[in-house]
Amino acid sequence: MNILICISCVPDTTSTISFVNDDKKFNSDGVQYIIGPYEDYALARAVELKEKDNSINISVLNVGLERNDPLLRKALAIGADDAYRIDVFPNDSLFVAHQISSFINENPFDIILMGKESIDFNSSQVHHITGSLLGIPSLSPVTQLDLNSNKNKILIKKEIDNGIETLEVVLPAVLGCQEPIAEWKIPNMRGIMNARTKPLKVIDQFECFSKINYKKYSLPEKKDNLLIIDENNINELVVALKLKNL
Amino acid sequence: MSVLVFLEFNNNELKETSKQALTYANDINENVYAISELKISNDVVESLGKFGVSIFLINTVDFNENNILKCIIPTIEEFKINCIIFPKTNSFSYLSSILSTKLNFPLINNVNSVARFENKICLKSTIFSGKAEADIEIDSNSCILVLNKNIINSTSYKKSVIIKNLINKNDNSLSNNVVSLKKEKLEGDILLNDADIVVSAGRGLKGPENWKMIEKLAKILNAGTACSKPVSDAGWRPHHEHVGQTGLKISPNIYIAVGISGAIQHLAGVNSSKIIVVINNDPEAPFFKHADYGIIGDAFDVIPKFIDALK
Ligand SMILES: Cc1cc2nc3c(=O)[nH]c(=O)nc-3n(C[C@H](O)[C@H](O)[C@H](O)COP(=O)(O)OP(=O)(O)OC[C@H]3O[C@@H](n4cnc5c(N)ncnc54)[C@H](O)[C@@H]3O)c2cc1C
Repeated sequence: MNILICISCVPDTTSTISFVNDDKKFNSDGVQYIIGPYEDYALARAVELKEKDNSINISVLNVGLERNDPLLRKALAIGADDAYRIDVFPNDSLFVAHQISSFINENPFDIILMGKESIDFNSSQVHHITGSLLGIPSLSPVTQLDLNSNKNKILIKKEIDNGIETLEVVLPAVLGCQEPIAEWKIPNMRGIMNARTKPLKVIDQFECFSKINYKKYSLPEKKDNLLIIDENNINELVVALKLKNL
Repeated sequence: MSVLVFLEFNNNELKETSKQALTYANDINENVYAISELKISNDVVESLGKFGVSIFLINTVDFNENNILKCIIPTIEEFKINCIIFPKTNSFSYLSSILSTKLNFPLINNVNSVARFENKICLKSTIFSGKAEADIEIDSNSCILVLNKNIINSTSYKKSVIIKNLINKNDNSLSNNVVSLKKEKLEGDILLNDADIVVSAGRGLKGPENWKMIEKLAKILNAGTACSKPVSDAGWRPHHEHVGQTGLKISPNIYIAVGISGAIQHLAGVNSSKIIVVINNDPEAPFFKHADYGIIGDAFDVIPKFIDALK
C-alpha cells in the first residue's frame, strides 16, 4: 500500500506577516517556514499506520521552491520513505491541484492525504479539486482514519455542519485531514540520521495555465479602541453591546 | 453575468449568510437564480423574493457527484450562469471545488469584498488566516466565489419568485465508492459558524467543571460556545469547539473571550469578529490589544456579575 502526503510549506504560525515591493510580494525575511500544521497531523497518522504495518510506503510531495527541501527532509525524519518536490511556485489552488493530480496520474497511490487547508492561503480546496481531477472521492475535514484488513477500504470520521459522519470509502481516495486524527510527531535522532540517505527527487512542473493573479497585498487596520470596563460596573458593557444593536 | 446562489436553511429559515450572499448577487445582476439542497416548502420558496431571489430552481436531489454531473451542471449550462456564489460552509467546500473543475470556472475562497466585473474580475480575499488580504484579478468571465461572513449587510427586496425545474440528464451513474454509515449530531443547538454571539473560554478556567457558568452565560445571550486549543486538547471541551489557526474560523457579531491569553494562533480564528470582549485577570494579556471592550478581573467573579447584569 502506498500513501502520499501532500505538504504545504508555510510561514510559522507566529510569523509577522508583511509585504515588500510595493506590497506586491510577501516579505520572507526572517520568516521561519514549517510544514503546514494540518499536514503534520496527516503525516503523523500515516506514520502510525506504518508502525502497525511496515509494508506501507509513505511518500511526501510538495509543490514549491528549493527552500522547502529542509522541510521535506524533516518529513523523512518523522517517518516518510521518500520525498518529491515539484519545482514551481504554488500560485493558487487549481494550479497546485493540477500539479498534484498530474503527478499521481504517473505515480498511483492508494491514499492521498493533505491538510484540510494550508495556513497561508486557506483555500481548503486542493484536496477536493485533486479528487475531482483524478475522478476519485475526496473527503474533508477528516478527523479519524483506519484501514480495513484487506487494505482496499478505509473507515473515516468527517466533520459535517453540526455533526460527525462515519463513512466507508473504497480506495483510492483523497482526504483533507485535521486534528484529532493523530498527535503531532517530532523527529528523533535516528530518524534525522536516516533521513539523510532517503531519496528526495525534484521534478519539473507540469504544464498548467493559471487564471488567478495575486496583484497586491494589504494588512487589516489595527484595532486601537479598547474600552476598559470595571467589573463592578458591568452594566456599562451590557448597555454598550445593546447600543451597537447586537 | 448570470448569477446563481447556493442557499442554506436552518429549520426552514434562510440563514443570514445566505441572505448576505443574495444581496451580494443582486449587486452583480438583479436576475438572481437560487438553489438549495434541502427540500423546502412552497410558501418558503415564495418568501425568498424578499431576500432577493428572482428564479428558484426546484431541486429534488442530493448534491453528490452523480447528481452534480447529471442535474446541476446541465442546469447551470442551460441557464448560461457564469457566476456562482456560495456562503462559506463545510459542505459547500466540496460542491464549489467540483463545480470549478467540471465547469472550468476559476474558484476563489474567502472572498472579502465586492467584485468588479470588467474584462477581468477583481476582488479581495483574506489570506494568512485573516492576518492579511490579497487583491486578486481573475482572467476569466466566469467565476465561483465563496464569501466570508459579514462582508455585506443583507437587504430586502420586493420580488416575486419564478419557479423552474432542474434539468435531469439520465447519464450512466458512477459507481458509488463512498458509503455513509452514520451521522451523529453534535450537542448544542447553535452552530458555531452561524452564531451571532460566541462565548469562548480558555485555560484560565482551570477545569471542565467550570464551564457551567460559560454555558449559562451563553444560554442567556443565545450564543454558541467555543474554546482555545489547549482546552480541547485536554479533553475539557469537544474538539469541534476549538477555534483558531488549527480549529474553526468564526466571525460572529460579538466574541467574548474568557481566560484566553490571545495567542496569535488563537486570534487567527476570531480576528474577523465584529466586536471582541476580553475578560482576563492579567492586564498584560495580549488579547486586550485586539479587543473592543476589556474587563480586567477574575473570571470566577466577573462571569456571575455579567450574568446578573443581563437578567
Ligand atoms: C501550530 C500551532 C497551532 C495552534 N493553533 C491554535 C488554535 O487553533 N487555537 C488556539 O486557541 N490555540 C492554538 N495554538 C496554541 C496557542 O499558541 C496557545 O498556546 C493557546 O491559544 C493558549 O490557550 P489559552 O489562552 O486558553 O491558555 P493560556 O495561554 O494559558 O492563557 C490562559 C489565560 O487565562 C488567564 N487567566 C488565568 N486565570 C484566570 C482567571 N481566574 N480569570 C480570568 N483569566 C484568567 C491568564 O491570564 C491567561 O491570559 C496553536 C499553537 C501552535 C504552535
